[in-house]
Amino acid sequence: MHNTFIIAKREYLERVRSRSFVIMTLFIPLLMFGVTVVPTMLANRDSNETKHMVVVAADRDTAEMIRSRIEQRQDKEKSGDKADSKIKSKKGLPPTHFTVEVSTDTTDSQRAALTQKVKDKTLDGFLWATPDAIKARKLDFVTRDVSSFIENGVLGQTVSDALRRSALKSKGLKEDEIDTALQSVDVEPRSPMGKDAPNPQVMFFATLGMVMVLYMTVLLYGVNVMRSILEEKTSRIMEVMLSTASAKELMAGKILGVGAVGLTQVAIWVATTLIFSAGPIAAGADMLKGVLSLNLLIFFAIYFLLGYVLYSTLCAAVGSMVNSEQEAQQLQFVIMMPMILSVVVIMQVFQHPNSPLAFWGSLFPFTAPLVMFTRIAMQQGPLREIAWEIAASIGLMLATIYGMIWLCGRIYRVGILMYGKKPTLPEIMKWIKYA
Amino acid sequence: MQTIELNKVRKSYDQFVAVNGLSFSIEQGGVFGLLGPNGAGKTSTIRMMIGITVPDSGQINLFGKPFERKSLNKVGYLPEERGLYKKMKIIDQLVFLGELHGMPAGAARQKAIEWCKRLEIDAWLQKKVEELSKGMQQKIQFIAALLHDPDFIIMDEPFFGLDPVNATLLKDVMLDLKKQGKTILFSTHRMDQVEKLCDSICLINKGNAVLQGDLKTIKSGYGKSNVQIEYEGNGDFLEKNPLVSAYNNYGNYVEVRLAPGADAQQLLRMVAERSRINKFELMEPSLEEIFIDTVGKDNA
Repeated sequence: MHNTFIIAKREYLERVRSRSFVIMTLFIPLLMFGVTVVPTMLANRDSNETKHMVVVAADRDTAEMIRSRIEQRQDKEKSGDKADSKIKSKKGLPPTHFTVEVSTDTTDSQRAALTQKVKDKTLDGFLWATPDAIKARKLDFVTRDVSSFIENGVLGQTVSDALRRSALKSKGLKEDEIDTALQSVDVEPRSPMGKDAPNPQVMFFATLGMVMVLYMTVLLYGVNVMRSILEEKTSRIMEVMLSTASAKELMAGKILGVGAVGLTQVAIWVATTLIFSAGPIAAGADMLKGVLSLNLLIFFAIYFLLGYVLYSTLCAAVGSMVNSEQEAQQLQFVIMMPMILSVVVIMQVFQHPNSPLAFWGSLFPFTAPLVMFTRIAMQQGPLREIAWEIAASIGLMLATIYGMIWLCGRIYRVGILMYGKKPTLPEIMKWIKYA
Repeated sequence: MQTIELNKVRKSYDQFVAVNGLSFSIEQGGVFGLLGPNGAGKTSTIRMMIGITVPDSGQINLFGKPFERKSLNKVGYLPEERGLYKKMKIIDQLVFLGELHGMPAGAARQKAIEWCKRLEIDAWLQKKVEELSKGMQQKIQFIAALLHDPDFIIMDEPFFGLDPVNATLLKDVMLDLKKQGKTILFSTHRMDQVEKLCDSICLINKGNAVLQGDLKTIKSGYGKSNVQIEYEGNGDFLEKNPLVSAYNNYGNYVEVRLAPGADAQQLLRMVAERSRINKFELMEPSLEEIFIDTVGKDNA
């Protein structure tokens, strides 16, 4: 026990003092900041880009209708329609403004002339809305930006809207009747829990965020355990260590030390987030409060620890088996498989929280940390209802961890002294059987 | 008291028998040589002595008691595979290894500084291991094995890769430890390097002890069958001579092993007839010769 502590202490201090720890601790929040905040800022900034396009239709009415819809949409964006701009910012693209011209010349020569203009970059695009094309419900939008599919998709919606309007108008409906008929309807999910239930969107993202932190830290630190064992093996210090500490103490010390580093890092991140979120995003934090109950944080800690110990034990066994970073990477993938599988299952759990896949996924020990945690977070109603499932998942994980420590401990004990070639599966089986 | 005692210890890996019923013991304060070629089973034997592996059968007593991990705090081990944490400072590394051997951190630090001064590397205490030369790393490793003042010191290939100056420095330390009554075990395939240090030896080959006991007794058992001759003139007496079973020409002198039953006086007369003799000395065979002789017989 004393040795385990000394080994864990060394592991912890050496890691926390290292340059890579400082860089990782700073870099990950910066990266998070980069992928979430920066695009939003870019999106909120007014885009100076203005594109020039031509709408070509056989009759002026249709062309004018399309033009007015495109321009109206732009006006709506400018006036800062909340719901709309939110969706925009998620897509992370600044809105483009179109200046629209209309033309009723549908001859082939006109098309050729416009195409040439687009080629010459004097025009950004033209929409070919001839009666034939409208009948076929397939319009050509000739542009150099064929790959800006979001912009083009929005254009498609706008044009469809315009065509529906012109069809209804030709049937004699008035402008306001058309508006009412075409107004979209929002369906808002309501939990049976009533007012206390948290906002489902916030809950979804909060859960996803926590699952990602769980996934990343477990993988990151599991792999760190593997690396550090490999390093000890290649630097040949193992034998010195073994002359005083047992293989079990070494493995335990390693897992505890690296795990403590992981917790330190997460703690630093949480603390910084709290400090920064105190002021500017107090409102957002308020929304989160409804989701992040103390219960959930406790379950997060439980599943983090169980998941970490389970995976890092496996990683320790792998680290002891291999002789080089390359070999480790090949096997690392095998370990990561269940983790990746968990993420796939979680996507299903979000859709169908009560499906058999969710049930079995939350009991299978290697996917349980992520899947069961997601189920707990998404649970509508008292946790009592799934209490036995939570207990079973924790129980199964503990049993598996116990078995894995025994098994991997035996592989580890032999593996750390084996240099040279990568062991085959039958050889590993033999290692397990050694006294 | 016997510091260590092995009784019919056997260890096999699958079909390969690494150690086959080995028995020996080392008296407290004795210097013992565990000798044999590469792959003879030396390291396997040592690993069982300090509990890294467990013997398939047989007993090992350490400090007069059946093996227990607690005893390891009184054992210092310099493994053949040298290794240190590359990114760690020398002083931190030594303190860490000292603590693992049950020393308080403060005492370990003090001892580490003392040892580094003695081995003339105290200027490097705050450096990382990767900044050190191979020879200096060897010294650190050596200190790591001795830091906790062990009663039983195991050195696997201790002089491997050391220049003569450092080898002498370490040899002096070993002699000093011997004087303090420490028990020392050398394991090596370079027999000439430890011959002068050992009181007793065990020669092993393919997991079996082929020769063991007090070094002087073993050597005297072989008799003075070697002759060192310094001469000037014709050296053709060495060739096809029924009195000579083998010889080594070192340039300045030759070492001749006499054929069984040959008379050294007869050889002296023969050489004197053709050359001028400056020196003619009867000698004990070296350990290496004894080993080759014994193993050669075994293999035949």
